[in-house]
Parts: sequence; structure tokens; C-alpha cells
Amino acid sequence: MAAPLTLLLIVAVTIRAALYRSSLADLISERVEVVSPLTAWKRVVEGLALLDLGVSPYSGDVFHETPLIIYFFHFLVDYAEITFMLADVITAVALYMTVKDYNKQVFRKQKYALEADRYPLDCLELIRSPKEMYYIPLKVAMFYLLNPFTILSCVAKSTCGLNNAVLALFILSTIKGNVLLSAVFLSLATYQSIYPLTLCAAALLYLMQRQYIPVNYRRASFWWFIAQYAFMYLGSLFVIVCLSFFLLGSWDYLPSVYGFILSVPDLTPNIGLFWYFFAEMFEHFRLFFLCVFQINVFFYTIPLSIKLKEHPVFLIFMQLAVISIFKSYPTVGDIALYLAFLPVWSHLHRFLRNIFLVSCVLLTCSALFPVLWHLWIYAGSANSNFYYAITLLFNVAQILLVSDYFYAFLRREHHLTYGLYLKRKDGSEATLVLK
Amino acid sequence: MKILTFFSLFSTFLSTNSINVEENAGQFFSSGHTNNWAVLVCTSRFWFNYRHVANTLSVYRSVKRLGIPDSHIVLMLADDMACNHRNPKPATVFSHKNMELNVYGDDVEVDYRGYEVTVENFLRVLTGRLPPSTPRSKRLLSDDRSNILIYLTGHGGNGFLKFQDSEEISNVELADAFEQMWQKRRYNELLFIIDTCQGASMYERFYSPNLMALASSQVGEDSLSHQPDLAIGVHLMDRYTFYLLEFLEDIHPASKANMNDLFKVCPKSQCVSTPGHRTDLFLRDPGSALITDFFGSVRKVEITMETINLTDPIKEAEQNPMSEKLQKVTYSYVDQLPVSEIIHQKPKQKDWHPPDGFILGLWTLILLVFFKTYGIKHLKHIF
Repeated sequence: MAAPLTLLLIVAVTIRAALYRSSLADLISERVEVVSPLTAWKRVVEGLALLDLGVSPYSGDVFHETPLIIYFFHFLVDYAEITFMLADVITAVALYMTVKDYNKQVFRKQKYALEADRYPLDCLELIRSPKEMYYIPLKVAMFYLLNPFTILSCVAKSTCGLNNAVLALFILSTIKGNVLLSAVFLSLATYQSIYPLTLCAAALLYLMQRQYIPVNYRRASFWWFIAQYAFMYLGSLFVIVCLSFFLLGSWDYLPSVYGFILSVPDLTPNIGLFWYFFAEMFEHFRLFFLCVFQINVFFYTIPLSIKLKEHPVFLIFMQLAVISIFKSYPTVGDIALYLAFLPVWSHLHRFLRNIFLVSCVLLTCSALFPVLWHLWIYAGSANSNFYYAITLLFNVAQILLVSDYFYAFLRREHHLTYGLYLKRKDGSEATLVLK
Repeated sequence: MKILTFFSLFSTFLSTNSINVEENAGQFFSSGHTNNWAVLVCTSRFWFNYRHVANTLSVYRSVKRLGIPDSHIVLMLADDMACNHRNPKPATVFSHKNMELNVYGDDVEVDYRGYEVTVENFLRVLTGRLPPSTPRSKRLLSDDRSNILIYLTGHGGNGFLKFQDSEEISNVELADAFEQMWQKRRYNELLFIIDTCQGASMYERFYSPNLMALASSQVGEDSLSHQPDLAIGVHLMDRYTFYLLEFLEDIHPASKANMNDLFKVCPKSQCVSTPGHRTDLFLRDPGSALITDFFGSVRKVEITMETINLTDPIKEAEQNPMSEKLQKVTYSYVDQLPVSEIIHQKPKQKDWHPPDGFILGLWTLILLVFFKTYGIKHLKHIF
């Protein structure tokens, strides 16, 4: 599959290069849906310029990137376009390899289950075959590279592309079973933006299952593995944080980066949920609502990981979606990452209930974002409520999408255990409801 | 006999007079200014800022009464209170609630009205950089022998004065405008009076010579208004200007009251805020500066019937011996501008480079992780 992948990479790079050369690049790099105060390229350039003038880039509210990004771009600022295209390519290749490996494992598990006669007889049509799974990795890479969201994010030179690359490498190393690399990439991803911390649960579950450690909190080996992973994760995080201190010689970056992510001082409109609420809020409630909103991101980890104990990769997908929807400064680049995973669950399409509605709403909202922005800011005939309505609708559609896939996944698992045609005790047809 | 005494007295009187005139010819050149100008600005609009217009008009009235003609007054009023729809007594602007004094009078000549009162126009008037089409009544045509009175009133804060509720002038801009005036020799001495909240902040940044400044309140204090009038419905004047007006009503063109009396106007017991003044840039002793040097247009004219011989060089009349701290070097126009201090040198661009320890540490770590993951056996391919 190297040849089609290479072709895909060439096509993707060509599209991005063509857009870089056109006049759209400037237009796109100013759109608030694509860049946020955390990821904007303009701010990276500004921070580097401040550094050249001898001022700390974290003074003032301009620069909110981590020092490793400063180091990275200090040498690569002239080759920024190639860097971001390369980041997209790395993400796509990493996702490709991840999904290929995952499919192998899925198929292997399925084979064992078939041989152990664990499936009821009437759900054989739900069994997946290698033939249908053959093109899924390529589709995943295609979904990521040719997604308009990714292309916009890359052309805008948003550092979200780098975050996605680190996350993709983290997922790759987890799937391959490499505990050290997984901890290192997770600490890098957490260092960039705090929210990937929730992925540690999924990574732990996956790695434990891969090493046949029973996922039982009463067993010592469970805690020992968690301790090992935590030690590696915290150690690498500590090393990276100290190294960042040595770059500029000060701890300024901690409030500028993490304080900024957690306390959300900048209320520029974006596709997230925070800005409108916090613009309207009274000061004395601000801390309370800040805690509520931030806990909301981390809160779904535990219930989801309990429910999806056996399926950590789906858990990773759901966590990525939850992070992209509820994080403090989301952009379309974050959405592109979890949307790339959709071909992996393409076998669930027969159980999806709302997919038409959701895809229509997502498409419409994506088209309406620039329209209502123009009406609000330039024409003056709309106001922020209009834009926030579209934001809300977009996020609701994403949540519906994710919960729909969740429903379909669980339903398929249920059918695989209890058979496809469910009957009540008296023999009449039963329906399955997600409660 | 009586006629003889009278005649001798008269002749001695005449002779002494003539000697006096010759000796006192030096007095004609002691104060330094030959003409007076006034720039009076009210920066607030809307009916509830009635008092600011009343402030400005009361100073206008005093200045006109003491002799400065309309051609030498630039009056800028941001709103029209006399003809405002809400004025129950149209064509009047009162300063006190008993309607004692209509400061609007019969012949008010407003040069900048309404929306023309902007920061840009104010600064252009001061510096003289007006478009060629500006009429003479809207220009400050002062020269290096002019004493200028500048009176500002409105809403202000620490370091700024609000114009028209939409823009502001900062104390730095004002100081720079005065410096421009000094460099273009547009004033001999300048008296700056401001009646706003935290007014003292507006004169903190002055750095040009021959400026004297008064403010109605210090930084951190608010300037308060006087009483409201229940019939008109708004506060009629601000306290400081009210007591200033009271003080000025007692001044007549021959009055010898000096600046020290002006500093005593409106003490804290009457004004509630603490008026401030600044005289360190003023080269004369404030006690020797008369009120009419700024507020009036007093010509030094002495009528004599005889010819006076002015072949001897005229010496300036001795001034009061100044105390040590007021002894200042008189500035000449050439060398009072420290150019190199003012024009900032652009700092040389030196590129920031990440510290070597950082680079070393980072790459060591990356290599360590790489070898841990992929095994030591790859090491032999490197070395």
C-alpha cells in the first residue's frame, strides 16, 4: 500500500502548496475558526520578533506557545510552510500505520473469537473480513489529508498541525505497544496543551491489555504498570518543563501557556463554547464557571473508560472528540484529527441513526460560519448571538456524531454477544435502546 | 506769590516727571510681553455638562472685561447651552443659582463650536499648523512677545482630558505641543489653568520654559461642582472656577494683584479638592507676575508732553532679588533642545539564540529515547 499512500501524499502536498502560493493564504490565516490565540502563526512570528528585540515573548498577551515551539521555529521560521506540510504528512503516515496495526489486531481477535465460538450464529454478517478492511488505512490517511479543515489549518500555518502530529505519534506508539515512547509523546502532547492528559486512561488500558496484564484494580500488577507508566510520563514531563526553563531562563511561560489555557482570559470568538459564556458572565461567578467548564473536559474520562474497557482504541477516538469539542480554544484542526478516524468505524454504518442529519448540520454550519461572521463584524446587521448560535449548533452536531458512533459501537458489541435479531422472552421482536 | 509757588511746584513736578520718565523707561521693557492671547476650551458636550460651558464663559468674560479683544481670544465650546432645548432660560448661561451673573452676555464670539472642538483642532490651534483656508478668528496668531492664557475644562483623569466623550488628549501630547510652541517662538510666557478631575496630572509632563500651571485638583482627587440650580436642573459651575471668577471679578485693569494671590484662590475648605500649581518652569518669580499679565491686555502707556532722550542704553529695571532656587539659566532658542536624548537610537538588532546547554540537553534526550526504543544495536551503525 505504499504506492497509493505516496500518491495521496503527493496530491495533498500539491493542494497545500498551491494554496500557499495563492492569495487565499492570508485570508485563511485570519479566520477565527481556523486559528486561535493559542495556535496563530502571526503570534509565533511576533514572539520570535520580540525575542530578537531582547524582550521576553511572554510579556504581554501575544505569545502563548511553549518554549519548545520557540526553539523549533527559531531555526525553521523561513521554512514554515514545509514544516507544516511535513507535520501533516507525519500525522497521516502515523495514522495510516496505526490503523493498519489496529486492523490486524482486530482481525486477530475476531479470529480467536470465531474459533472459540463466541459469536451467536445469526450475527455472522457483522463479522469483518480482511477484504473490506484492506483500504481502511488509506481511507484514514485520505480523510485526514484531504479534509478541508486540515487543509485550511495547514494553509493558515496554525500550530494545531504540530499538536496533531504529536498526538498521532502518541497513538502510533501506543498501538505498537511501546510504553516508553507512548509516555514520552503523551507528555509532549500534554506539555503543548493540557487536555491530552485524558488520553492516558485509554493508553493505559490498551497497553495493559496488550501485555496481558489484567485490568483489575485489585491486582498488584495493575498498579505496578500504572506506576511505571506514571513514572515515565511524569519524568519526561518534568524533564521537558525544566528544559523549557533553561531555554529562556525564566518560568514566565507557565502562566502564559497553562494559565492562559486554564483561565481563558482571551474571549475572541471561535468555534468553541467558552467565549460567549465568559463574555456575558459576572466577575464573581467567573471562577465557578471556569471550573465547571474545565472539569467538563476531564469528566468523561472515567465513565467512558469504565464502559469501553475492552475497546481502548474507540475510547481514544471518543476522548479526542470530547477534547476537540470542549477544550478552551478549539479550532477546525482539532476536529480534523478525530474525523480522520471515522473510516475505522465504517462497519458501523448500518447502526448509525442520525448520520444524515449530523452531516447536513456540520456542512451547513461550516458554510455559515464565515457568512455570519461577515454579517456580525462587517455588515453590522447581526450580532454575536447569531455567530454563537452557529457555534452551538456545530458543537451539538459534533456531540451527536460522537454519541451516534458510540451508540452504534455498543449496539454492535451487544449484537455480537446476544445475536442480531433480538427476541423478548415471549418471542416478539425487541428493540435496543441506548440509555 | 501763590502763583509763583504753584509755578515752581509745577516746574519741579514736570522736571522730576521727565527725569522719572527717562529713568523709568527701563520699566517699559521689564515684563517682556507686548500682547495677550487667550485660548479657552470647554471639552464636554451634553446638557448635564452645563457647568463646563459656564466655566469657560466666565473666564472668557473676565478676560474680555480686562481688555483682551475677541480677535485675540480663541473660544472653543463643545456644546451650546444657551440655545439648548433643555435650557429653561434660553440665551443665558448662569454661573450662580441666584441668577446673579449671566456669563453669556451680549457679545460672545465662539470660534470653535460643537464638533469642531477636537483634540486635533486644539493642537493645531496651539501649534499654528492649520490649513491655509482657516480664517484669522480661528487662529492663534501669537508671537514671541505674547503672553498666552490657556484654560481647559471638562472631564479628565490621571494624565488625560476627555474631548467630546469620544477621544482624549494626554499630558504628554500637551507637553509636546507646548514645546512646539516654544520652538516656534509662539509665546513669551504661558499660563495654563485646568479645571478637571485629577487636573494636576495634566501639567506634570511640561518641560518647556516659561510655563506656569494651575489645576483644580491633585492626582487622585476629583474636582467638584458647585451648587445645582433647581430651576435649570443642573450644576451651574465647578467650584474652582466659581471661586476663580469671584476672585477675578475684583480685578480691574490697573490691579497689581499677582500670581501668588491666584494660587490662594479656592483653598481646600472651599474647593474640597486641593488646587495645585507648578512654577518651576517659570523663569520670573511668580510674585512679580501680575494677574493682568495674563488675564488682561494691559498696555504700558504713559502720556508725556515732552521729548525724551533715549540715547543711553535702556537697562532693564531691577527685579526683586530672586531666591537661589529660582535663579535659572535663561534659555536661548538654539541650545535648549537635547536632540540626542530625544531622538531614540534604534537598538542594534542582535538575534536571540537558544542557549547551548538547552540544545545539548534536548538532543541528548532525543537520542536517549531513540536508543532505548530501538536498542543499542543501532549504535554501531552510527559510530
